[in-house]
Amino acid sequence: MKTINSSNLLENLMEQTREIILQAEHLKKMPLEALEKKPSKEKWSVAQILEHLNIYCRYYLNEIENKLHHNQTTATTNFSPGWLGNYFTRLMQPENSGLIKKKMKSPSNAQPANVPAAKEMLDEFIRHQYRLLNLLQIARQHDLNKNRIPISINKWITLKLGDTFRFVTAHQQRHFIQIHNTTELVKTCQLKKLQFAE
Amino acid sequence: MDTPNLKDFVQRIHPLNEVELTAFCSGWQPLTVKRKTILTAAGETERYLYFVNEGIQRAFYLGDDNKEATIVFTYPPSFSGVADSFLTQTPSLYFLETITASSLLRISYDQVQQLQQQYAGIQQLIFKATAFALKGALQRHIELQCFSNEEKFKTLLKRSPHILNLIPHKYIASYLGMDATNFSKLINTVSI
Repeated sequence: MKTINSSNLLENLMEQTREIILQAEHLKKMPLEALEKKPSKEKWSVAQILEHLNIYCRYYLNEIENKLHHNQTTATTNFSPGWLGNYFTRLMQPENSGLIKKKMKSPSNAQPANVPAAKEMLDEFIRHQYRLLNLLQIARQHDLNKNRIPISINKWITLKLGDTFRFVTAHQQRHFIQIHNTTELVKTCQLKKLQFAE
Repeated sequence: MDTPNLKDFVQRIHPLNEVELTAFCSGWQPLTVKRKTILTAAGETERYLYFVNEGIQRAFYLGDDNKEATIVFTYPPSFSGVADSFLTQTPSLYFLETITASSLLRISYDQVQQLQQQYAGIQQLIFKATAFALKGALQRHIELQCFSNEEKFKTLLKRSPHILNLIPHKYIASYLGMDATNFSKLINTVSI
């Protein structure tokens, strides 16, 4: 399988995480009601999407931190993604056009509350991103191949450290496209209401 | 690694002796990034001092109205990075991104610290570079507060005429603290 330069991979993931921070900072300037509004009955609000992402961060960032803390490894020049890591990352990754390939259902343990508080969810999410940046930085001194992290839905299935970072980042990118679409939908809903009131 | 641009640039700020120059130029790592890459996010503490070999970068602050206010541009040959966050090792208030694909060199805060402790000349170099940056920042503060749009525009053209062709005008307008329409009027009316 194709190998990737470890330090380039970490650099790219950090750049992607900073891009997510910028988008999250934009959300901070929006009215909270807009973030808590569901565009339709079966669709998630921005706050719900953020809670969903927080559930992943809480689990994966803790696991990664523990692994990095307890297992001393040495950095290797190259990282070889595992087949499962590639599969999960590709499944999540948006296409180059920025579109989401196919819809998926989230596992039951990652379902958000009905009306989570937008401000708390957003603040928590941004905190996780700084933590993720730090872990990516620490990972420069570690072997991305050797450490393995159990996935959140089945502890017997593990991903390589490098793949875990790739998956978490791609998953966030995917949902930030959803967040973008949701804010657009909520905006048009409000416009329609205003026109109706006139 | 060969770093001719960096050497020239440094010698013009504060000439170093041969030993110091070699020591200063040896710890840098090359980094090539695409356009629109965020090098430092707001809230993050700057880890690196950058040197720009190619490409243009800008720092911007995200305002309450969700508008990005451009604070500063960097282009070759010059240092880059979030200077205040780097020097104080406190979180940055703004973002640093590349406007065009960039070829950079970078060195970590710890390395710079070590070099400064070891070599008096390097200590002087960093002090002078910081002093010039402070002078530039305060000068710009005066321009932003006291100059008319036309004066701001003319000052910029005198200082860095080439950026007009290199940087999207919306960013330059924001840098001068005016809206894009006023800026394009100025371009068309002010004789250069």
